[in-house]
Amino acid sequence: MMVTLESLATCFQGLIPSLFFTCSSDGIPNAAYLSHVEYVDREYVALSFQFFNKSRRNIAENPHALVFVPDPDTGQGWSLRLKYVRSETEGAVFDRMALRIEAIASYCGLKGIFRLRAADIYRVLSIDALAESRASESARMMQSKLDPIFTVKALQDLSSRIQRADSLESLVDSILEGLEESFGFKNSYILIPTDQEGVLVTMATRGYAAGSVGAEVRYGEGIGGMVAEARKPIRIAGLLRGMLYALAMHKAQSEPHLTRLARQIPVPGLSNPESQLGVPLMVRGELVGVLCLESEVPYRFHEEDKASIELLGGYLAIAIQNMQWQERAADAGTEAIATHKPPAAVSPTPTSGSNGHERDAARHELVYYGDDECILVDGEYLIRGLPAKILWRLLSIRETTGREEFTNRELRLDKSLNLPEWKDNLESRLLLLRRRLEQKCPAVRLTPRCRGRFAIEVACPVTLSAQP
Amino acid sequence: MIDAELTAFLEQGVGIHIGTRNERLEPNGARAVAVKVEDGGSHLVVFVAEIAAARLRRDLESNGQAAVVFGRPEDERSCQVKGVFVDIRPAAESERPILEKQWDGFLNQLQMIGIPRVSASNWTIWPAVAIRLKVTTIFEQTPGPQAGAQIA
Repeated sequence: MMVTLESLATCFQGLIPSLFFTCSSDGIPNAAYLSHVEYVDREYVALSFQFFNKSRRNIAENPHALVFVPDPDTGQGWSLRLKYVRSETEGAVFDRMALRIEAIASYCGLKGIFRLRAADIYRVLSIDALAESRASESARMMQSKLDPIFTVKALQDLSSRIQRADSLESLVDSILEGLEESFGFKNSYILIPTDQEGVLVTMATRGYAAGSVGAEVRYGEGIGGMVAEARKPIRIAGLLRGMLYALAMHKAQSEPHLTRLARQIPVPGLSNPESQLGVPLMVRGELVGVLCLESEVPYRFHEEDKASIELLGGYLAIAIQNMQWQERAADAGTEAIATHKPPAAVSPTPTSGSNGHERDAARHELVYYGDDECILVDGEYLIRGLPAKILWRLLSIRETTGREEFTNRELRLDKSLNLPEWKDNLESRLLLLRRRLEQKCPAVRLTPRCRGRFAIEVACPVTLSAQP
Repeated sequence: MIDAELTAFLEQGVGIHIGTRNERLEPNGARAVAVKVEDGGSHLVVFVAEIAAARLRRDLESNGQAAVVFGRPEDERSCQVKGVFVDIRPAAESERPILEKQWDGFLNQLQMIGIPRVSASNWTIWPAVAIRLKVTTIFEQTPGPQAGAQIA
């Protein structure tokens, strides 16, 4: 049976090291490990050119090369006889390879350290099975057990969950729930853009310890930030291998660079991730969010998974954007409320909460730092940016007027919040705020009343103070 | 040429591949199972499954040039030993435990980076041949700008 390059797609994930054999013009062979072989099309592959090493010098003198790539599913080794054609320093193949290198480096806190000089393009002259590395049926069987079930039924199930969602909150939760229950992806999170240029924030997570909602990710940082920056999907298999490779390359650097950046809220992540997949959620060129999936299994996201998740990404992006629009349209019909009640549980005359939430009787001190647009609760970081401004506005109104019910519409019209006239993503900000409060300050709650209307409930005395 | 520290690394059970080339300067290669450092580090015996050695034999006997690369998956430490062909013979039954021990060490290494042993359960390690090389040069090959530096 004729083996085609397309049929070896699973070999190009870099899970097991590939081997690169070359020969100098004076006849001295060279053997070296390769981090990654990239599939280009049915006739060509690309190898990364990062350093002027011996292999690269040999290729400049003698274009003949041999590569061994193992199939991670079966253990079958393949030998590819190659001939160097050209080097590319831009274009789709180069971008894809550079992105992968950057994503791994970024995960290690080494972004910007490694540079892809070129994607070296090779014509594949022949493909042969390696007699000494034959496929193992038991390996194939074991792998097949991990295969997710991208059946029509699973897709229908996810679709109906999405259809049933009646709010942005239930929509994002049902997406992550569906990805686990229908497809087996247990660890996932959704990032959305913030009001700050180039910054994303986690809006929903599944499979991680509580407390990850509200974590900020800058463009280019980690897989989510890289996906947002490039607006392209990234899949990394054998992440551990990639990280070991990156760290080996960078051992001379000082220790602090080798750890993930300290941050106010940790970005959700497995302690030992092996596979990661990040997909941009795009609608007509606009980035609505980023979906990230992780697994401790080295080769969890197969070719079919990547293609299916990419397709799903488009569908999810439309669903999220539609829900945002729907909630916004509904808001237009709501009127501002002017219910005057005495302020409950707010200093200077603290009382107990008005809605019976007595579980946290302690006093809370909330401080708003205007320059940073950031709120700390009892000295601990709560939230920043637009959600912080919104919370401060709500608490301030409540303190001065006693009003506890608000509408999305009045927030949109509130000049002090300075929401953009179009695409303000207010529902996403409120959802994020609600979740952060649940995690860090459950005595203060945002409770939806009906579409476009919510209440701020305070279950214990709070002190508000503002700082520059 | 190969000192004690390097000998311990090479013989501990790591990934090993041997490369040769034909008269048209086209490279050939094979996975190796184990190695043995001999004569105070001046010679290296490379054990290759007989079924794979067939691809190298002609090159070794015609031009004698060989390169052997070692890689430890755990930390990506790697080096390359270059040498010239001395002789080739069937591996002796008494040498089989060396092959099995190093192969087992390599499979453990793969497991440490998340690749189950079952993936390599069908790879052939026996019968094997012993390819004896006279070591000429040794190069650092751990990923990074220092890769390629001659260390002996």
